[in-house]
Amino acid sequence: MALLELSHLTKQFGTFTALDDISLGIERGEVHCLLGENGAGKSTLCNLIFGVHRPDAGTMLLGGAPLHPRGPAEAIERGIVMVHQHFSLVPNMSVAENLMLGRAKAVLKPQDIIIRMEQLAAEYGLEVNPQVLIEDLSVGERQRVEIIKCLLGDPQLLVLDEPTAVLQPDEIDALLGICRQLTLRGKSVILVTHKLGEIGRVADRTTVLRQGRIIETVAMEGADIRSLVRSMVGRDVQSAGSVLAATIDLEQDAPAHPATGLPSDVNGAPLVPEAAGDAVLRLSDLVYRDADGVTKLDNLSLAINPGEIVGVAGVEGNGQSELGLILAGLASPTSGSIVVGGQSLDGCTPQQITAAGVGIVPEDRHAVACIKELSLAENLFLGAIGKFSRFGLLDKSGRRKAAEAMMREFDVRASSSDVAMSSLSGGNQQKAVLARELSLDPLVFLLAAQPTRGLDVGAIEAVYGRIRAARDAGLGVLLVSSELEELMAVSDRIVVIYRGRLVGELAAGSFSREAIGAMMSGHEHV
Amino acid sequence: MSMSKLVLAMKRPKSMFGAPGAGFNLVPLQVLVPVLSTLIALGIGLLIIASTGGSVSEAIAAFWDGMAGSDYNIGASLNRAITLGLVGLGFIFANRANLTNVGGEGQIAMGGMFATAVALHGAGNLPFGLAFIVSMAAGATAGALWGALAGYLKAKRGTNEVISTLLLSFIALPLVYWSVESFHLLRKPISDLSSLPESPEIPDTTKLPLLFPDNGSPLHIGLLLAIVAVVVIWLVLKHSTLGLRLRAVGLNETASRRAGLRTSFYIILAMAVSGGLGGLGGAIMILGQQFYLTSDFSSGYGFDGLVVGLLSRGSAVGVVIGALLFGFLRSGSINMEITAHIPSAVVLICQGLIVIIIAGSAILTNRKSNR
Repeated sequence: MALLELSHLTKQFGTFTALDDISLGIERGEVHCLLGENGAGKSTLCNLIFGVHRPDAGTMLLGGAPLHPRGPAEAIERGIVMVHQHFSLVPNMSVAENLMLGRAKAVLKPQDIIIRMEQLAAEYGLEVNPQVLIEDLSVGERQRVEIIKCLLGDPQLLVLDEPTAVLQPDEIDALLGICRQLTLRGKSVILVTHKLGEIGRVADRTTVLRQGRIIETVAMEGADIRSLVRSMVGRDVQSAGSVLAATIDLEQDAPAHPATGLPSDVNGAPLVPEAAGDAVLRLSDLVYRDADGVTKLDNLSLAINPGEIVGVAGVEGNGQSELGLILAGLASPTSGSIVVGGQSLDGCTPQQITAAGVGIVPEDRHAVACIKELSLAENLFLGAIGKFSRFGLLDKSGRRKAAEAMMREFDVRASSSDVAMSSLSGGNQQKAVLARELSLDPLVFLLAAQPTRGLDVGAIEAVYGRIRAARDAGLGVLLVSSELEELMAVSDRIVVIYRGRLVGELAAGSFSREAIGAMMSGHEHV
Repeated sequence: MSMSKLVLAMKRPKSMFGAPGAGFNLVPLQVLVPVLSTLIALGIGLLIIASTGGSVSEAIAAFWDGMAGSDYNIGASLNRAITLGLVGLGFIFANRANLTNVGGEGQIAMGGMFATAVALHGAGNLPFGLAFIVSMAAGATAGALWGALAGYLKAKRGTNEVISTLLLSFIALPLVYWSVESFHLLRKPISDLSSLPESPEIPDTTKLPLLFPDNGSPLHIGLLLAIVAVVVIWLVLKHSTLGLRLRAVGLNETASRRAGLRTSFYIILAMAVSGGLGGLGGAIMILGQQFYLTSDFSSGYGFDGLVVGLLSRGSAVGVVIGALLFGFLRSGSINMEITAHIPSAVVLICQGLIVIIIAGSAILTNRKSNR
């Protein structure tokens, strides 16, 4: 009998049906993937199982006994644990202290936690130093702490809600390995994802959700991954091309690009191209030290020509974020210069940078790119509030018209331009940000940092379509991404950043996973 | 934690009472909840009076008389509402930029003190009503600077404005005390009749003209000014580019900065306008009805105004209703104490109950709509 038996689950939020008559069994010892676009109901389903929400109709059985968790605490008691997309760790407390939170009785026994951590490290390879503060850990390590937290009580079912969205390739490998380890010990894993490659590597069975309904549940042995894509998007994906295939991590062309060794210009050749005069963006000897004096960018020089997409590959935390902040005008470099279209941006405010023709799609959409409480129209014209005004009063109808035109042009889907930004899906939010930045006039350079993070397949396609079109129109684009496949599919040139320095460059046609991967981890000469 | 939760619940402007399908469709919850909570609170107040041996009927009569028993009393109640309303408007203005100005008390004090100083020293001889206009402007400016100081500390140093505005009040109140204690400053000379620590009476030219000089009502043109302020603040918050910019800065400072807004400027501006409205309220108290400065003239108005602002949940119309409610309650309570010998603290308890009931119901309805 299945470990978890869901029958006829329905959940509505207001008039929106998030889940519609879901029936599903999760077997013991299986990795069960939930696949679907944003808004398909994956997270809602997890939240029902974990007791965050309660179903409007339907029943759940866990090990044959009814399951009606009135809250996560009750679900945990029944042996169900969940790792959310956003971690719930206290940054300025140590790993051990975080693990004790919510589980310690009256007397704290750090020793017990440390012993249990050693057990888990031995069993699953989940190694973390218990004394380190959470804020000093990388995202991957924080997730590991979350998983350890889940495993402390020896659960039966582990729910992972898009765990790989924030991880580096090697961290993803480790995570998928842990999933397999768990199933070997009789535990079940529900893995939410929209990356097909991962599913192929780890899933026993996969359930595809679309618009709150189960489209199909398939056993992965011998399954055709492409048919899953069709179920997920509801149409054929052949049209999507290589970008799509790359971003959902299908390695269909992997053998076609054998590692041909390193491109010739890696060994000591200058990274700044010869054509110096007409570069749209020129970074010269950029140095950035953070408040603690740690060097985040180390003599970084780079020039971007009109009509090219330059990809920045690198393990996260090697200076990409700082580079993004500096280009956005939210941080000033310690030394070095930035020149856009012949104009120096030293000491410029964000306003002046925008005026110079720099569009920014920042990596943190919610913190930097948009204000989710404001309406879509207000966000589309966030930098141009004064453009639609008469005597200081807002010209809302004029703004609405302009916003609707922009929505049509960039295919931003919302019931109206007056809805709150937060009610849009991640993909549409990102399209709105792109629409705003690509509509700047003048516009000579675009920074797109992690532009597809958390987006579903359809939106990824759209975002890259836009970026390519902008490139074709003569824009210089700097694309920062942690998805190697994505970079290789979209970039005209890839530079690799390591510890704040550019350590290598590959021209189009000479991209190789192995070479980039080696440089990303600091091996300049493989 | 309870206080912060109350404030949070009340600050959330939308999604509060408008839970769809919550039942009371005949009367909107936005109206029902405040009215019901006021009635419940007043009922509890009467219970307290009865249980402490007071005469309920006497209390009600005195209370009503004080609120609206005569033209004079109505005028006095409205005059109180003017100051409360201005402070409340200031609160919601700053709150639009996600700033919580709890320093109304100090801003009133600064406004009253500087209005008195200017009225006594120089403005008295100005022609064409400039005498009271300049005095009022001086008060508003003083309040604005007091507010802007907190805004500056917030924008440039990250100082929490709740702390700084509160502490600035603790500085402003003794400053007023000092000014009326010291003969070098505003204290009137000791004469046979009086030796109280207060300023001399301001010149007649600097007093605000009465709206109905014939029927003895103290209601002055401050009312018109307050109405203008309500309309202007409503317009600015709801329909202006400035209002949208303040909101953007308040909701997400980083994103606003990236979008090119001068966030520090808007933070300082929001606090300056907020404090300026408080200062204007203080100036109007002195120039409109009291006519001389005393050390504790602002007593309680700043905090009542803060509550008015909180209860209005960001709406200028809500401020009007709240200011009227609290203005009339305060008048009634003063009279009740004088004629029926029932401590005005009973009304203070009622005011507190109103706040708690409204905020409590906000938390309940929020929870309901979240489910």
